[in-house]
Amino acid sequence: MNRREFMATTGAAAAALAVPGAARADVPFPYNYEMTPPLQVGQRDAYIAWMVENRGENPTYLAQHWARYEVLVANRDVLDDRNKRAFLLTPREEFVLERNLSRAYEHAFLDIGYGVTISGPHLVGRMTTSIDVQMGEKVLEVGTGSGYQSAYLANLTNQVWTIEIIAPIAERTRGVYDGLIARGYNEYLAISSKNADGYYGWEEFGPFDKIIVTCGIDHVPPPLLQQLRVGGTMVIPVGPPGAHHVLKIIKEQAPDGTIRVNRSDIYGGRIVPFVPFTKLEGDQIVGVHAE
Amino acid sequence: MATATSTAIRAPGATPLPAPLLYLAIGLVAGAVIAFQIFIMRVFAVGSWTHFGSFVVALAMLGFGLASAVMALAEGFFQRRWRAISTITVTLFGPLMAGCHVLAQQNPFNPIFLVSDPVQKWNLALNFILYFVPFLSAAVFIGTVFLKSTAIFGRVYFADLAGAGLCGLLVLGGMFLFPPENLLIVPLLIWFAGGICWLLWIGSRGGLIALALAGLLAVGLQFVLPQAANLTTIAVSDYKGVSYARRFPDATEVYASHSPFGDLRIYQSSYLHFAPGLSDNAAFNIPQMPSNAFLGMYIDSDGPIGIMRALPAEQTAYFRYLPMYYPFLIKEDPSVFVVQFGGGISTAVALASGAASVTAAESNPAVLAAMDAPVVRDFTGDLLGDPRIEMVPYEGRLFLGSTDRRYDIIDLSLADSVGLSSPGGFAISERYAYTREAMATYMRALEEGGVLSVTVWNKEEPPKSVLRLYATMVAAARDVDPANVANSFYVSANYLSTATVLYKRGGFTPEEIAILSDNSYAMSFDEVYAPGMMPPDEASTVLAEYYEQIFGTGDAGLPDPGDPLLDPALLNPGGADPLLDPALANPAGGSPLLDPLLANPAGGSPMLDPLLGVPEPSGPQVLPATAVGRLAWQALVTDTWSEFADAYVFDVAELTNNRPYFAAYVRPGDLTKTLDRLELFQDDWGYLSVWATLLVAGIAALLLLLLPLVFGWRTIFSRYPGKLGTLLYFACLGFGYMLVEVGMISKFILALSTPTVSASVLITGMLVFSGLGSLVSERFLDRARTVMPFVFAGIGALLVGYSLFLDPVLDWIGTFPYAVRLVFCLLLIAPPAFLMGFPLATGMSWLGRLKKNHLFIWAWGINGSFSVIASAAIPVLATSFGLTAVVQFAGAAYLIAIPAFFAVLLPLRGVLRAAAAG
Repeated sequence: MNRREFMATTGAAAAALAVPGAARADVPFPYNYEMTPPLQVGQRDAYIAWMVENRGENPTYLAQHWARYEVLVANRDVLDDRNKRAFLLTPREEFVLERNLSRAYEHAFLDIGYGVTISGPHLVGRMTTSIDVQMGEKVLEVGTGSGYQSAYLANLTNQVWTIEIIAPIAERTRGVYDGLIARGYNEYLAISSKNADGYYGWEEFGPFDKIIVTCGIDHVPPPLLQQLRVGGTMVIPVGPPGAHHVLKIIKEQAPDGTIRVNRSDIYGGRIVPFVPFTKLEGDQIVGVHAE
Repeated sequence: MATATSTAIRAPGATPLPAPLLYLAIGLVAGAVIAFQIFIMRVFAVGSWTHFGSFVVALAMLGFGLASAVMALAEGFFQRRWRAISTITVTLFGPLMAGCHVLAQQNPFNPIFLVSDPVQKWNLALNFILYFVPFLSAAVFIGTVFLKSTAIFGRVYFADLAGAGLCGLLVLGGMFLFPPENLLIVPLLIWFAGGICWLLWIGSRGGLIALALAGLLAVGLQFVLPQAANLTTIAVSDYKGVSYARRFPDATEVYASHSPFGDLRIYQSSYLHFAPGLSDNAAFNIPQMPSNAFLGMYIDSDGPIGIMRALPAEQTAYFRYLPMYYPFLIKEDPSVFVVQFGGGISTAVALASGAASVTAAESNPAVLAAMDAPVVRDFTGDLLGDPRIEMVPYEGRLFLGSTDRRYDIIDLSLADSVGLSSPGGFAISERYAYTREAMATYMRALEEGGVLSVTVWNKEEPPKSVLRLYATMVAAARDVDPANVANSFYVSANYLSTATVLYKRGGFTPEEIAILSDNSYAMSFDEVYAPGMMPPDEASTVLAEYYEQIFGTGDAGLPDPGDPLLDPALLNPGGADPLLDPALANPAGGSPLLDPLLANPAGGSPMLDPLLGVPEPSGPQVLPATAVGRLAWQALVTDTWSEFADAYVFDVAELTNNRPYFAAYVRPGDLTKTLDRLELFQDDWGYLSVWATLLVAGIAALLLLLLPLVFGWRTIFSRYPGKLGTLLYFACLGFGYMLVEVGMISKFILALSTPTVSASVLITGMLVFSGLGSLVSERFLDRARTVMPFVFAGIGALLVGYSLFLDPVLDWIGTFPYAVRLVFCLLLIAPPAFLMGFPLATGMSWLGRLKKNHLFIWAWGINGSFSVIASAAIPVLATSFGLTAVVQFAGAAYLIAIPAFFAVLLPLRGVLRAAAAG
C-alpha cells in the first residue's frame, strides 16, 4: 500500500465512523504548547467537548481515548500533567492500520506491517514519562515505525528527529505527518524524519538530550552514545514485541573526567509488581481480566 | 457373504490374494502422509516457528483417530463401499494436500499476536483444520484398506510402516533438491505413485483418469495458481530475521542453499552491524566502528549470524570491548578452541587477540559449505584458509570428548544468539552444547591453567537462562575438580545485554582476578562473582519481589508498599485507595501523589524517576538482576543452591544430557497463574504451547474415544469380550511406540547434531525395522500367546537398557563421518524397533482372525490417537522428568500391554456359543 492509498483508506474509515464532516475537518484552532484539555479523571464529557471544539476530532475515538487515559492514570503509566496532556492530544487512531482502527486504544501492541508494531499506549506512556522530556530539548527517535511515539513527543518539545530504516514505513509515516499537518496539526512541524540506517544517528543535529531506540540490535550503537549529551538519557525496549523491558542508559561524566554510562531499567532498579490488565466498565475501573 | 466381509481384499477377477501392487500402494500412501508431515514442519520452521508446526501436525494426525472412530461405527458401509471410498479418498489426497497448504499459507496467522489479538486464535484453528483435512482423506483410505486386509494384516502393515519409513528418507533427500517452498513436490509424487498402484490393482480405469486429473489439479494448485494469482507458497512471517534483511534497501542475497541442515541464506547489506555484547564504553574510546563489514547468515529465516569481512587491525579495535575478549587478558599466545564456529566472530576475535592457533568446530555442514563458497571466501579473506585455523566438521563437544589435545582457551560465545533473542519463544529444543556433561568435557580439555569462557545473552528480567547456565557450569566444575570450585570462576554481566562465565582450571590467582575486575570496571560491566566476593546485602527481598512481579495478584499493586511517599495508608488515612480512586485522592485538583513536583517539594530533580515519584538513589546501585546473579553464585559456591532455586520465581535447574533444555521456566504448578498475563511469558511460549497441545490433543482424543463408546458400546461392541483390555492394549502400544520414536529423536541429536536429520533417520529406522518386525510376527501368530510375553519383556529390557547406556554410545558415534554415523544410528535403533513391530500387527491380526472387525478398525484408531497424545506429552515429560524417563515410561507401557494382550485373544461370544453348540 502506498502512502496515498494508506491515507485515503485511513481517512475513509475514520469518516465512516464519524459524524459527517467531523472526521476530516481541519483543526479549528492552531496548536500551541499551552492549550490543555481537561486532565482530571472523571471529566470525560468535558474532555470530549473540549477536543471537538479545539481539535475537531471524532467523538467516537475521543471516548475510547479517554477510557484508555483513565486506565493509564490508574496504572501510573503517565504521571505528570505534561505527559497526560501529550497522551490526550495525540490521536492514536491516525497512526494505526485501517484494519486495527477499532483496536486503536486497546492495551495491546498492534501490527503495522513490515514486522513492526505500534507499542501499547501504556508502554509509550511509561517510557516517555521516564525520560522526562522538557520543552526545547532535542530528542532523537531511532525507529519511527507508526509515528505515534514522535507525535506524542511533539507535545513535549519542539525539536524531534526520527529515523526509520524501512523505506516504505518511513514514507508512509511521513505521509501521515504531512496529512495531519495539512489538517492543522501544526505541532508535528516539530518532527524531522528521514529514511536511513539509525545505527549512525543524525549527527548534524546532535548532541541530543534524549534518545529513544526502538529497533533490535545486539549492542547499543556507539554513534548514538556519542550523540547523546552528557547527562542525557537513552531508552531502549529489549525483548520480543509486547514483552519489553526498557533499558535506560544515562551518560555521565565521572569525577576523573571520563565518560561512563549507567545502565538500569526505567524503574530505577526497583522491581515493580505485576499490574493486572484493567478495563473500564461504565465509569469504573475494574480489576483483572484476561485479554 | 461371510467371505466378502472377512477375507482378504481381492482384486476383481484376479488371483484371490494380493499382489505387490497392493503393498506398494499402501506403502506409498503412508509414505506420502509422513512426507507431508515433515513438509509441514519445514514450512513452519521457515515461515513461522517450529512449535506451532508441532501443534498443527499433532492435531492434524487425529484425522486417523476420527477416521477409525467413524469406520468402527459404520463398518458395514465401509466394507460394502470400499472400492468407491478408497478410489475417492486416494484421488483427493493429493489435491487436498496442495490446496489446503496454499490456503493455509494465505491465512494471516501471526503467532506474535496470539495473545493480544483474539482473531489469531481462530487463525491457528483454521491452520489446524486446513492441514487436518488431507490427513483425514489419507486416513480413510488406509483404514479402508486395512479393513479389507484383516487376513493378511501383518504384510499390509509391513508395507505401511516400511513405506512410511523409506519415504521419510526420501523427503530428507528431497530437501537437497527442492527449497522448502517447493518441497511439497515430494509428498505429491509419492502420493501419485501410490494412487496409480492402487487403482491399477483394483483395475479402475475411471479411477486412473480421475487420478491423472487430480494430479494436474494438485500441480496447478501448488505451482501454477500461486504464480498466476500472486499467492505465496510459504508465508515467511514479517517478524522472522530474514524478513528484515530483505527490506534493507541495499540488501542482496549473495548465497543460498537448502538441505536437511536448513534453508540457508546469506545477505550482504551495509545495514548489518554485529558486535554482540559490546561495552557501551567503546563509543568513547575507539574512533569508529567498521562499516559495511558484515554478511548476515539466516538459517530457516532465523538470524542473522554475522560473518565478518577481513578487516585491518585499526578497525578491529572494538574487539577489545567485547565480552568474549576476557580470557585473552590473562593468556598469552594461547591455543584456542572455538566450540561453535557459526559466522566466525569468535575465531576472528581470537586471531586478533594473539591466539597462536584456533581449532574451531562447526557441526552444520551447510554452514561449512557456505563459508567455503567463493563469494563468502572473498569477503572473509579466506578465513578458513588461514594456516592458524583448523576446522573440526562436527560437534566441538564430541571432538573435545575424544581427543587428547588440550587448549589454553575454550570459547563458547553466543553460539545460540539467534534462539535466545527471537520472538515467538524458545522451542523445546535440545542444547547439548550447554549441558553439565558438555561443560565437564570442555573443562577437562583445558590445559592446566586453561580458561573456559562462556558468553550468553542476558536479556531476561527476571534472569532465567543465565541462572541455568551458572548452575550447570558449577555442577560440571564439581564433577571435574570439586576442591577448587569457589576459586575457579569469574563472572560478569552487562544489564540486558550479555553475561560471561570464566572457568579456570586450577583456580584464578589474585593477580588474574585483579586484571579481570579492572576490565569489568573499564567496560562498565557488572561483576557478578569473583573468588572471595561477599554475599550481597541488596538481595534480601529480591526473590520475593520477583515472585510478586511475575505472579503477584496486583493487590500489592502499583506502588511499592514500603515506600512512605507512596503508601496509600499514609496518604489517605481514611482507608480508600487514592491511587485507584483519583477523585478521593485529589479533591482539590492536582494530584499530590501523581504529580512529582508536589511529591517532592524539596525541589532538586523530582523527575529523575517519575514512575515512582522519588529520586533515584545517588551513587552506584545494584540492579535486582545483578543482585540475583550474585545471590545465585553465593548459593552455588556454598552449596546452598537448592534453597535458592526453590525460592526463585522460575525453574532454573541445570541442563543435563537427560534434560538438555533452556526452555520450560514456568513450573507446572505455576501454569494456571500465567493465563491472565501471557504476555509476560512470551519467551516461554514454546513451552506453554506444548501444554496447550497436550490439553487440546487429550480432549480431542478423548472425544474420539467416546464416539464409538457412546454410540456402539451396548450395540456393536456388545458381542466383544475383553474390549476394555483391548483398548488398553492398543492405547499402550500407541503411547509407548511414539514415546520411543520421539524420545530417541531427541537423544540421537547427540550423535547427529541436526534435529531434522535425527528425526528423519529415526522415523525411517523405527518404521522400517518395525515393519520387518510385523512381517516376521506373522510366523509366530499361532504361538502368540506364548511368544508375545517374551517379546514385550524384550522390548521393556531393551528400552530400559537404552535409557541408561545410550549416551556414551551416541557420543562415540558422533565422532565418525556423517554417512557412517547414519549407518550406526540405524543399526542402533534396529533391535528395539524390530521387536516393537510385533505387538500391533499381532494384536490386529488376531482381532481380524477372531472376526472382531469393528474392534479391529477402532483399535487402529485408538493406537493412532494415543500416539498423538504421546507426541504431545513427550516435551512435557522430557522437561519435567528427563529423556531417560520418557524411554522408561515407554518400557512401562509395553509391560502393561502384556496382561492386556490376553484380552485381545478372547473370542467373540457368538463364536463361543457356536463352538459350544458344535
